[in-house]
Amino acid sequence: MTNLLHVDSIHTFIGQFHILEGITLTIPQGSITALLGRNGAGKTTTLKSIIGLTPPRTGRVLYDGADLRGRRAFDIAALGIGFVPEYRAIFRDLSVEENLKIAERKKGDLARRADLIFTLFPDLKRLIKLPGGQLSGGQQQMLAIARALVPDNRLLLIDEPSEGLAPVIIEHMMEAIRQLSTHITVLLVEQNFRVASQLAERYYLIDDGHNVQNGMMSDLVQDRATLLITDHSPLEWRFSNRIAVSLSRSRLSCYL
Amino acid sequence: MFLVQGMSIPTLVSVLLSGLTLAALYFLVASGLTLIFGLMDVLNFAQGSLFMLGAYAGWVLYANPRLLLNLAPLLLLFGAGAFVGALAARRFALPRIGLWIAAGAAVVLTLFAVRDFPLAKLVAFGSSVTAQIISTPEAQDPFQTMLVRLALMFLAGCAVGLVVANRGDAARPFSASRVIVAAVGLAGVGLALFFFREPLEQFILELDSTLRFLLAVVTGAAAGGLLGALLESSLIRPLYARPIYQILLTLGLVFVFDQLIRLVWGPIGSVMQVPSFFSSSSSECPAPDLIAWLTLHCDSIQIFGRPFPSYRLFIILIGALMAVAIILIMQRTRLGMIIRAGVQDSPMVEALGINVRRVFTLVFALGAGLAGLGGVVAAPFLGVYPGMAQEFLLQAFIVVVIGGLGSIPGAVLGALLVGLARAFGDHLVLSGIQLPGMADAISGSPAIARASTVLIMAIVLLVKPTGIFGKKE
Repeated sequence: MTNLLHVDSIHTFIGQFHILEGITLTIPQGSITALLGRNGAGKTTTLKSIIGLTPPRTGRVLYDGADLRGRRAFDIAALGIGFVPEYRAIFRDLSVEENLKIAERKKGDLARRADLIFTLFPDLKRLIKLPGGQLSGGQQQMLAIARALVPDNRLLLIDEPSEGLAPVIIEHMMEAIRQLSTHITVLLVEQNFRVASQLAERYYLIDDGHNVQNGMMSDLVQDRATLLITDHSPLEWRFSNRIAVSLSRSRLSCYL
Repeated sequence: MFLVQGMSIPTLVSVLLSGLTLAALYFLVASGLTLIFGLMDVLNFAQGSLFMLGAYAGWVLYANPRLLLNLAPLLLLFGAGAFVGALAARRFALPRIGLWIAAGAAVVLTLFAVRDFPLAKLVAFGSSVTAQIISTPEAQDPFQTMLVRLALMFLAGCAVGLVVANRGDAARPFSASRVIVAAVGLAGVGLALFFFREPLEQFILELDSTLRFLLAVVTGAAAGGLLGALLESSLIRPLYARPIYQILLTLGLVFVFDQLIRLVWGPIGSVMQVPSFFSSSSSECPAPDLIAWLTLHCDSIQIFGRPFPSYRLFIILIGALMAVAIILIMQRTRLGMIIRAGVQDSPMVEALGINVRRVFTLVFALGAGLAGLGGVVAAPFLGVYPGMAQEFLLQAFIVVVIGGLGSIPGAVLGALLVGLARAFGDHLVLSGIQLPGMADAISGSPAIARASTVLIMAIVLLVKPTGIFGKKE
């Protein structure tokens, strides 16, 4: 299995804040990798550093062997990276169709991908003329993912797709991500552990801008089960490399 | 509605048309202002100056092409030099002292290039010829002198390019071939204008004044657009993260351009002849209706029994056409789609693979071009004068604030409100307001009419602080 994306100890600043302090990721082609961590750990900034919206100050991002340093976001995206941000960023004043069309990189991209998109998200076909601002949260999430599928992307960066959605819609969305991952590599940021663990093959756990642990998702699920059984007040979730990741009670209940 | 009661229908219609004329001009300045603010969050105070510079550029081509044909090559070769210098800056990095030397050299070279340049003569030449052909080589430098000036300007441009590109982010990859194309293009156009300056001047002056006017409109719009693109890419782009500096910068530009115009043409304005298409006078004039006007081209048309200048109807037409064109661009084209999306979230547009920076430059050029176009169209009606920048900037700001910053329909509505308020205000102030039960009409000075637009703005802001169609805070 070849590596599609390699993030090599990047340091990213937002203003004077040092957000990422040496994050390293390796994303193999054709898989779903989950990026885990609590709020403020730097997950979103990691995605933005890859796409070039918050370019890293030091370190390297290699995509398909090419160094992305000094390239601007539009240039990086054009290499075949799709970005589905946490706040979804649906253009409110554009119709659903225009929201999809704006993502075209070559004329006719949307027509080529229409079948795939409307098979994954049949609802969008019905809403095609509606302004993006009138969609429900779930529909906006579908549209945000669909938009990233319009051009020939090989890697999708998806940030918190389940946030604020009803369980039945989460199921639908997970199914869609699973299906599209058969031909597109996915790097997924997800707070909902159930969603992350069911979708992803591999995981990276980060905290405070540092790597904490990574490996196969199945191992993490087992580890966590043991931890939860042995420790009855699991406010601190300890890993073998001795870095503690505190989890709030509410977050943990959501993980269960 | 007692204000309208006292007016006869012909008066009402002619005041209405006057208001629409002003509205069309206000819209042309305000549309660019609102587009630029909507997409880039830049309050471009220089929008009025671009209107003025467009007017002057068009007027110079119309009345004094010799000045343009002598001045434009100098500027174009300076630009070409700047591109070459920028390219050179990538090959070798200058030490700090080298940069200072280059900057000094740029100043010295420019001073030598324009030494004894017969600007005053060239400017005065315009007032002595209006549409008559003088082919004598007076009032312009001989060929060799100009060639030396052009070479010096090119070198000065090189030095400036070297300094500017060295200061900027050197890691930014820009394609060398595109820079070379731009440099060769600018130099080519500049040299062509220079080598053919005499036949070109002959050609322009011999043109029918209507065709010459069309050429002037294109020149004004192009001058505005080019200048806008240049301003955005050189001065405004480094300041996107610092909005306060941006406001200071564009406000400063207002004064710079104002003084520049005063330096060349003095504080007194000039009249621009109305092109012959709108100014023929025969015994049948004024034309009884539009159909008759189409063959007569009178300077005015009878509307409800009262003559109205036909050129002002043309201004209204241009304003309406541009409004429709902008709305079509916004709703029907990919560029419009990108602008509408960028207004909401430009980083996301960038993350979709669209070069937002280039779109910014394009929209800035578009807005500036509209203002330049408005300037030329306004010139035969209002003349050209240094104060027009501030006057139109102020009115355009009121228009945009009333309509809502960033909204094109808002700019249309705001321009209509402000234009009509000005026209009706002027009329009522001059003719006096007859209130029921009062013996004498109240009359006042035209300053009150001007205040009426500010009053509308104040009312709109009290009722809806974002403006009528505004969404942004």
